[in-house]
Amino acid sequence: MKKLAFFAIIVLICGTMSPSLVNHAYGQNDPSILLRIAVQADKQIVNQLDKKYENQIPNNINILYDKGHTAVKSLGQSLSSNDIEKAKQDFLLAMNSFMQISRIMSQSSEKSIEVNVSVIPHQALESKIDRIEKFVQTLESISKKHNIVQNKVQFTEAHSLINEIRDQITSNQNPSEKITELNNLMNSIQKEIRNSIAEKQSNAIKNFFEKFLVQIHQKLIEAKDLDRNQIEIDKANELIVEIRELLSKNQINDAKKVYSELKVVLKDIGISVKIT
Amino acid sequence: MSLLIEPIQSKKSLGEEGILFVRNDSIFDTMVKVPLLVASMIIVAALLPIQSSFSTPRDLDLIIYPDGSTHISTEIDVDPFLTDYEVNLFGSTIDNLVVIGDSGFLLDVDVIDDTALIQTFGSSVITIEYDIHDLVSKQGRLWTFSLDSPSDFTLLLPKNSAIVGMTNLPLNMEIINEQNQLTLSSGSTEIDYFFSINTISSTTEEIVNEEDNSSNIIIVGIIGGIIVIALVSVIIITKNKQKNVKAIDEVVTIPKNNILDLETIFKLKPDLREDDKELIKFIFDNNGEALESELRKNFLQPRTTMWRAVKRLEREGVIEIEKKDLQNLVKLRKSMEEDN
Repeated sequence: MKKLAFFAIIVLICGTMSPSLVNHAYGQNDPSILLRIAVQADKQIVNQLDKKYENQIPNNINILYDKGHTAVKSLGQSLSSNDIEKAKQDFLLAMNSFMQISRIMSQSSEKSIEVNVSVIPHQALESKIDRIEKFVQTLESISKKHNIVQNKVQFTEAHSLINEIRDQITSNQNPSEKITELNNLMNSIQKEIRNSIAEKQSNAIKNFFEKFLVQIHQKLIEAKDLDRNQIEIDKANELIVEIRELLSKNQINDAKKVYSELKVVLKDIGISVKIT
Repeated sequence: MSLLIEPIQSKKSLGEEGILFVRNDSIFDTMVKVPLLVASMIIVAALLPIQSSFSTPRDLDLIIYPDGSTHISTEIDVDPFLTDYEVNLFGSTIDNLVVIGDSGFLLDVDVIDDTALIQTFGSSVITIEYDIHDLVSKQGRLWTFSLDSPSDFTLLLPKNSAIVGMTNLPLNMEIINEQNQLTLSSGSTEIDYFFSINTISSTTEEIVNEEDNSSNIIIVGIIGGIIVIALVSVIIITKNKQKNVKAIDEVVTIPKNNILDLETIFKLKPDLREDDKELIKFIFDNNGEALESELRKNFLQPRTTMWRAVKRLEREGVIEIEKKDLQNLVKLRKSMEEDN
């Protein structure tokens, strides 16, 4: 028994410690990354300062830069002496100083704006197409998973539209018409996917409801024994019957709506919808 | 015989000098039984990861596009006994929202402001993908990414972007297609960046290799530690019992250079997840081997998700991982043990 207890303790310790061990190991990944980021930021700041001020850098920015640059040097030293905690402090100090400099430089000339498609049309259009392409890929993977043959032609069409739009962007033409066409195509692909897997999905939802309703029914019996509001209990039972009828007629969406009503009644009775 | 339970306090006895003695074994008998204690500890150890897993993103991957819009991809464990699940989005300007259940079904979602109510109906894992315009702002030439993340996350910055300020420590940094990918911890993060040319230095690859090596050493260390503990435990148990040795698992071996067919693999491993089976099918169709990056590309999975899936299959003994040109080559094993 003692050995079993010893084994259990090992399991307990490993079970509780393992996530923190992994996190610890992850956080301690190569600290030279910090130096690399800081050096890169330092160079960028120098470039920006040269471009904007040439040799007339304002004093407040000079002080901040010195602070940041000294912290980068110190970061290198801390890393070579393996003082990780000091290195982290140096990194944050350097990046904070550079952040302040870049914000002062940006504030001095231009007003803050939220990113919007109309601000930088060319870049925004390219990004928009990148995003739509990712969306297409996501839907394509779902379609492949369910072997939806009907979608194949639509996806080919979507990819060729994406290529056409990219060409239009490169040649400075207005691609808005093609983008609308692509968006409509994506909507119809989504509908097609939903229709094609509707039966499978309905069966999955039916199975889920079947198990779920049995348990709710059991909870209602228990509630009755506890002298809870009988009218509400009867109402809940009626709703369960209604849901079952709708499911048998494959009216899944209506069943979901009735289920929403049932949730409210169950809450009034004091039954949590989370049933395990 | 009296049915009255005698309180511990009444079992105390006064010593000669009036000192209070309490018998330790009585306390132990009265309070707990050893088997109960052991069972409780095992249950607690088993439940701890489960308790912390629901509602916390397993994976959170962000991609910033050059116009500042951001693609979010997250995988969340949800309670399979719930019919719906409410998730807070990172903003209210949402595009291209897709929510996929664990059977690959498109789930219905109602979005109100920055909250999405997802009809999960029995799914235990949901994947949410969307584009958002609320995370990056621009001031002059300076772009600022801000996020208060509920979990650790990866952030892929646009090409030619150079970080010039950040408010917290990165956990990791990698280069993917000439783009910086940071791994950051949960909590509030702000990152400032400019667009520039030649932002990725020539030392990049060396550093990436070092990162790989150091993380490999850590992983090997952890796995080694676990194996040692497991071995010690097994030795203790076998020495203790020395009887009733369990029947040795059936080992199926196939002639060299041949891989097991899919049917045999699935028969030997009946409890494999559906998505893992899809991975195996893909590797099988690809002459029994595939690069991890190919798997990611084909299944459109984030790096961490695919890495975990591959490690899971390796643990199951279905595949083995080899290094090829600094990449992970995933190969189906030529022999494997049957699950009991």
